[in-house]
Amino acid sequence: MTPNETAPPDTAYADAATRLLRGRPATRDALLPLLHALQDEFGYIADAMIPVVAAALNLSRADVHGVVTFYHDFRRAPAGAHLVRLCRAESCQARGAATIERIATQRLGVTMGATSADGRVTVEPVYCLGLCATGPNALVDGRPVSRLDAAKLERIAAEVLA
Amino acid sequence: MAWISETDLGTKPAPDSARTVSLRIDGDTVTVPEGTSIMRAAALRGTNIPKLCATDRLDAFGSCRLCLVEIEGRAGYPASCTTPVTEGMVVRTESAKLAKLRRGVMELYISDHPLDCLTCSANGDCELQDQAGAVGLRDVRYGYDGANHLQAAKDESNPYFDFDPAKCIVCSRCVRACDEVQGTFALTIDGSGFGSKVVASADEGFLPSECVSCGACVQACPTSALIEKTVTDIGTPDRAIVTTCAYCGVGCTFRAEMRGEQLVRMVPWKEGKANRGHSCVKGRFAWGYANHRDRILNPMIRESVDQPWREVSWDEAIAHTASEFRRIQAKYGTRSVGGITSSRCTNEETFLVQKLIRQGFGNNNVDTCARVCHSPTGYGLSTTFGTSAGTQDFDSVEHSDVIMVIGANPTDGHPVFASRMKQRLRQGARLIVVDPRRIDLVHSPHVDAAHHLPLKPGTNVAVLTAMAHVVVTEGLADEAFIRERCDWDEYSDWAAFVAQPERSPEATAALTGVPAADLRAAARLFATGGNGAIYYGLGVTEHSQGSSTVMAIANLAMATGNIGREGVGVNPLRGQNNVQGSCDMGSFPHEYSGYRHVSDPATRTLFETAWGVSLDPEPGLRIPNMLDAATDGTFKALFIQGEDILQSDPNTHHVAAGLAAMECVVVQDLFLNETANYAHIFLPGSTFLEKDGTFTNAERRIQLVRKVMDPLNGYADWEIVQLVAQALGLDWQYTHPSEIMDEIAALTPTFAKVSYLALEEHGSLQWPATDAAPLGTPTMHVDGFVRGKGKFVVADYVPTDERTGPRFPLLLTTGRILSQYNVGAQTRRTENVAWHAEDRLEIHPHDAENRGLRDGDWVSLRSRAGETTLRALITDRVAPGVVYTTFHHPDTQANVITTDYSDWATNCPEYKVTAVEVSPSNGPSEWQRAYADQAARARRIETEAAE
Amino acid sequence: MIRAYVSGDMASVALGADEVVAALAVRGVEVVRTGSRGLFRIEPLVEIDTPEGRIAYGPVEANEIDAVLDGTHASRIGRIEDHPFFARQQRFTFARCGVIDPLSLDDYAAHGGWQALDKARALTPQAVVDEVKASGLRGRGGAGFPTGIKWQTVLDTRSPEKFIVCNADEGDSGTFADRMLMEGDPFCLIEGMAIAAHAVGAGHGFIYIRSEYPFAIRVMQAAITRAAPRIAPFALEVRVGAGAYVCGEETALLDSIEGKRGQVRAKPPLPAIEGLFGRPTVINNVLSLAAVPFIVAEGAQAYQAVGFGRSRGTMPIQLAGNVRNGGLFEAGFGITLGELVNDIGGGTETGRPVKAVQVGGPLGAYFPPAMFDLPFDYEAFAAAGGLIGHAGITVFDDTVDMAHMARFAMEFCAHESCGKCTPCRIGAVRGMETIDRIVGGGRQPGGLEAMPQMRNAAARPRDRAAEIALLRDLCDTMKFGSLCALGGFTPYPVLSALDHFPQDFDQPATAQAAE
Repeated sequence: MTPNETAPPDTAYADAATRLLRGRPATRDALLPLLHALQDEFGYIADAMIPVVAAALNLSRADVHGVVTFYHDFRRAPAGAHLVRLCRAESCQARGAATIERIATQRLGVTMGATSADGRVTVEPVYCLGLCATGPNALVDGRPVSRLDAAKLERIAAEVLA
Repeated sequence: MAWISETDLGTKPAPDSARTVSLRIDGDTVTVPEGTSIMRAAALRGTNIPKLCATDRLDAFGSCRLCLVEIEGRAGYPASCTTPVTEGMVVRTESAKLAKLRRGVMELYISDHPLDCLTCSANGDCELQDQAGAVGLRDVRYGYDGANHLQAAKDESNPYFDFDPAKCIVCSRCVRACDEVQGTFALTIDGSGFGSKVVASADEGFLPSECVSCGACVQACPTSALIEKTVTDIGTPDRAIVTTCAYCGVGCTFRAEMRGEQLVRMVPWKEGKANRGHSCVKGRFAWGYANHRDRILNPMIRESVDQPWREVSWDEAIAHTASEFRRIQAKYGTRSVGGITSSRCTNEETFLVQKLIRQGFGNNNVDTCARVCHSPTGYGLSTTFGTSAGTQDFDSVEHSDVIMVIGANPTDGHPVFASRMKQRLRQGARLIVVDPRRIDLVHSPHVDAAHHLPLKPGTNVAVLTAMAHVVVTEGLADEAFIRERCDWDEYSDWAAFVAQPERSPEATAALTGVPAADLRAAARLFATGGNGAIYYGLGVTEHSQGSSTVMAIANLAMATGNIGREGVGVNPLRGQNNVQGSCDMGSFPHEYSGYRHVSDPATRTLFETAWGVSLDPEPGLRIPNMLDAATDGTFKALFIQGEDILQSDPNTHHVAAGLAAMECVVVQDLFLNETANYAHIFLPGSTFLEKDGTFTNAERRIQLVRKVMDPLNGYADWEIVQLVAQALGLDWQYTHPSEIMDEIAALTPTFAKVSYLALEEHGSLQWPATDAAPLGTPTMHVDGFVRGKGKFVVADYVPTDERTGPRFPLLLTTGRILSQYNVGAQTRRTENVAWHAEDRLEIHPHDAENRGLRDGDWVSLRSRAGETTLRALITDRVAPGVVYTTFHHPDTQANVITTDYSDWATNCPEYKVTAVEVSPSNGPSEWQRAYADQAARARRIETEAAE
Repeated sequence: MIRAYVSGDMASVALGADEVVAALAVRGVEVVRTGSRGLFRIEPLVEIDTPEGRIAYGPVEANEIDAVLDGTHASRIGRIEDHPFFARQQRFTFARCGVIDPLSLDDYAAHGGWQALDKARALTPQAVVDEVKASGLRGRGGAGFPTGIKWQTVLDTRSPEKFIVCNADEGDSGTFADRMLMEGDPFCLIEGMAIAAHAVGAGHGFIYIRSEYPFAIRVMQAAITRAAPRIAPFALEVRVGAGAYVCGEETALLDSIEGKRGQVRAKPPLPAIEGLFGRPTVINNVLSLAAVPFIVAEGAQAYQAVGFGRSRGTMPIQLAGNVRNGGLFEAGFGITLGELVNDIGGGTETGRPVKAVQVGGPLGAYFPPAMFDLPFDYEAFAAAGGLIGHAGITVFDDTVDMAHMARFAMEFCAHESCGKCTPCRIGAVRGMETIDRIVGGGRQPGGLEAMPQMRNAAARPRDRAAEIALLRDLCDTMKFGSLCALGGFTPYPVLSALDHFPQDFDQPATAQAAE
């Protein structure tokens, strides 16, 4: 009920928000760029960032929370050390994505959308990387890989689980 | 429904448009203003197109997809809520295809909704239920075992309403109401798609969230997802009575929704011209005090305040009251007694109390709590404009381009108006805040003041004069307006005065603490930014220079041409529900109703003729003078209706001493308030729910208060005053408050056309309501000032005698908080304490550090006048050197600290500036302990003691 | 020194182009990174500058570089323009893609860049709008609304501020033309936007790119920086999406730029009148804006002369999925689906018979080979119960289970629904459940429905036919009731699968199990 009297904002996040907003008016349309930048820096959108971002852009916590939870990109907990995003859209399905998904999750020891218990790898679905003639496709730590097959998956697993 | 059912036309009215459009709806030709939605056009003709997400309180959203229609020549099935009418359009609202689509949508809704309609709190008052019936849904072919939200946990954290996400249809009406109507933005949709759910803040639950519990979401909810706990407990209402809120000066009207004799809920009335269907946590929910066990329902008397109270019959109490006053007047003289009217009671009751004193006591010793709040407004605005009231209606703010808020904290003090103001700010109006404290309007979600001038308490006049200096010296004054509407010579004198170099922002910056550049920018904005409106509150009036500040505001408004049309003006935000009315009704010792001086022979003759007595031509005593006279031994008896001067008036020690020196203090109130600790006769009061009458809000709007239940104490307050008058031998024979209003109208020119009949017919009237303006006057001074020419008054800055120094280095200023009201007598007896259970002292981190204070520490707060203790809240909302507290809790006794300095013109106390020192403490002060002992003794009631 | 050209397109990199470039660099070859030529079967592709022109080799592995450099590599293609896949195309929009260094202002200018902007700026805004109108250009994002008329509305709306927004939220599976253009010829898009800005009087533009396209984001940002002086006073910036497919819907995209949840707005008001920040806004797809420089430079007539019926000009068609010659094929409208899939696409990559093609992304209909004589044309596709959309064609062979694909369409809709309107928010989930029940053969009354209190619920079992009827009703509710195309078009793949492949709904998940 007293928005300006809540606990003091987390200073590390507040400092980062100030730095990341530099050179950009602190208006609402800076919200997505700021969230992206914070996630790039800290790996995820922590609960404690929400009041910080709200204060930085003069929004309510509800405003920020609504946006953070709307977009699939913003994660609320850190991902694993490695991130494997497997495409499961139609064009990749037409080229055997379901089989690849089964092999990949089995080999990496983690279910789709989850992070392995040791925190080493997160496997997530992605709906289209725009590589639709050469699927099945993946983004492995941001690197695109096309024509995924068992051999390529094995190389990826070796790299990720090393 | 047995009660007045509100119609909902689905979408807002079209923005002002002179053009109309004709179209055909289901074969009929309909003509509506351009920009109207098809849904509204159909509703105006009586066709209610099915809808769930649409309501005429909110912008059209188009999400529920029930309101689809067919339009000739257009593909598909457009939503009627988001599609505006066009000339010649042919619309069909019913067809087999539409019926099928609507049923298909409803089938989806019900496939994810609990099936316990018959045991639901909203059974019979649920739009989903109504619409399911309207579209003829019979079977949900999906079955009920698909994915659903039926396991979602209820949020029961808010003390007044529950949120059951399982019953939520995700129409976003609550979210939109919070955003669009209230402007708090506390709600959102979490997630997306099927996972979408309504949450408060970051899914924190309603109570800990940013929610201010205004009730707009509950009001907007079409199901029972958001519903008042009282509806769950008592049942749905079966009738409604429109009445006026008894909290602040906004004057919201509510439908008191009843089930039998029981009040179920207060629902803001859409037709209410002050609130336009909105509400705040107090008016909407905090009415439980009316049935609180602390209420005193039987009259009580005692010989001395050391004794316990003794319950007596009404006859005995009334007779005793009359005989005491007659005895004391016989012994000490006619002028040894007086009375205080209440700004919480109705106009009629207030009028009767002052009549009792003038006619029955034969003197003018009547005063009111406006003495301690807005008396400088009366003085300042009558001097400059000729009328002792604000110049606008609340709607006016919709036309403002620059809004200056000075010494007011609308989001806490006048929340419903603040929401209107914030709507305008979100539309692009710019805001200047002049306040020592960073109030929410300075910077809070979706609000950002263009300028905040954080002045040192007590320097209002210097700041306003410096703004005037900028206006005059930079050639920004509206010369055409001034020449036409004001006295040019007076203006020239004033302009020469403010233009002096020593009044410039630069010269006064050190004194006021306001950086000169900021002040200049703010002044330029106000003078050149379009329609400029000034709103102010007690931060202006409660100063030794309160009247000067009001006149400085009036000067600034005139100099910039901001008077006499919509969107501009000088607008005092009144504290109590009827403070405007109590002033209007002749509550001051020098004025009859309508602000006419008691020394004026013509007016006096009018009243003498009507009342059949000769009246005292000398002004009577003001409250502080009565107390002074009491300690001097010349003032001996006081009749106090609905006011707690011990808690609300300054320098508590002095008030206590004055009361203790009297022989008969009569308190008429709902509760044994603090003043009653010094009373000899207690007459139980009635709540606003228990009587008929009128209140007048801050925009001079007179609105009906309607009785919704019988007085628990047996009599409405006006009846009790009449009984006292009759016991004094006066021939009063009122059978209904409307007869009192008739007398007021007959004796008061500005009320000439006011009657209950007219109020019933028009909903409300803004005085002056005269032959020339029978429907009242929303905007004052349109063609000329009431006094003729607007008067510029040279108001020089004179520092208060209250100075900081080595012993008292900090300045204390006081204010209020949203959830509590005034001395808290009402709100402390409701669940509102969930938000504000105690008064806290706000102190800047630097000042706290210097004194070794941590957040939440008990501190001692000392001034020249006294000492109290409370807990510290460390915040940079206050500037270094300034501390702030609220005064809602009697155990804090903030007014032990405040001094008896007061406004030079009106004696309005200087609550807002007290030099203090703050130091660590480990317990209540000596005074607090002594007072607690005294209060405990004074509150004993014999019947209880005997048990 | 030898100069080689290797694509830096994300698809090329995903196929190993970076490794090839590293191998070339080790051998002292000067490498120019270009966009992709658009035929992925030959990627990674290396072109070597020779006196006879750029001689192409592909696909090339990093360890085969020496053979490329000595001209002995078995995959020698020769001049790429002579390759039949390219020879059959009419490249208006993609003329420079794969040819130039995407971030070289000199290359761009040398290949005709900026001529259109200079020409447009010499004209009145109305004249530019008239030219675009005359070209017959229709929105390439899928809706096919005439671009010139949209611009006219913005031009005619008075406002102190107007915006140009490029919708580069290309989320449809089977489409990648926007990505290729942004990575391969970003200045072309920038020029198109600058022309639009001149035509309607806008000062600021945004390119909203989905976050799944990191290469395009990087290239566009660099290109904007370099082109800034050239397009001034018009200013551009990139905004990055955050994984919400629905933001490809124009009003959701505007809300997303504004920092809000990407929820669809009701229309009216049209974005052209009240768009970004409430101001008049041109919002066009990448391909629409990138077509503009050709139209202005070459004249509306040159563009308009190509096409079919009311579909004028060229369309960059994307062949995707299980297809041999997957890639980008720009051609005039009117080419048939069969030509595209069989002649140009070369049939399936697996060599099995084509069972279905989905045209227009996840919201497009599935067509059986029996309908392959359908000409590529907005109206013809609409009449056949489908849509061109962003002109992506995803090919499936005969192992596909169309009931599964129908379910996936509902699942995708449920995953990406913004949650605002009811038909999409709840309907997509009910759609998945209903298809599951169809495949399962129907259902018995649920525990709740069987209770004696439930007098209105049908007590009889619902057979497969009843569930199919329910699915059709649901599709009807979604199609006509949804607020935007996500919910409104999801019925296309579902119903087309049901109509053209009913047998797949009749056998309990056998195909899936057999996979």
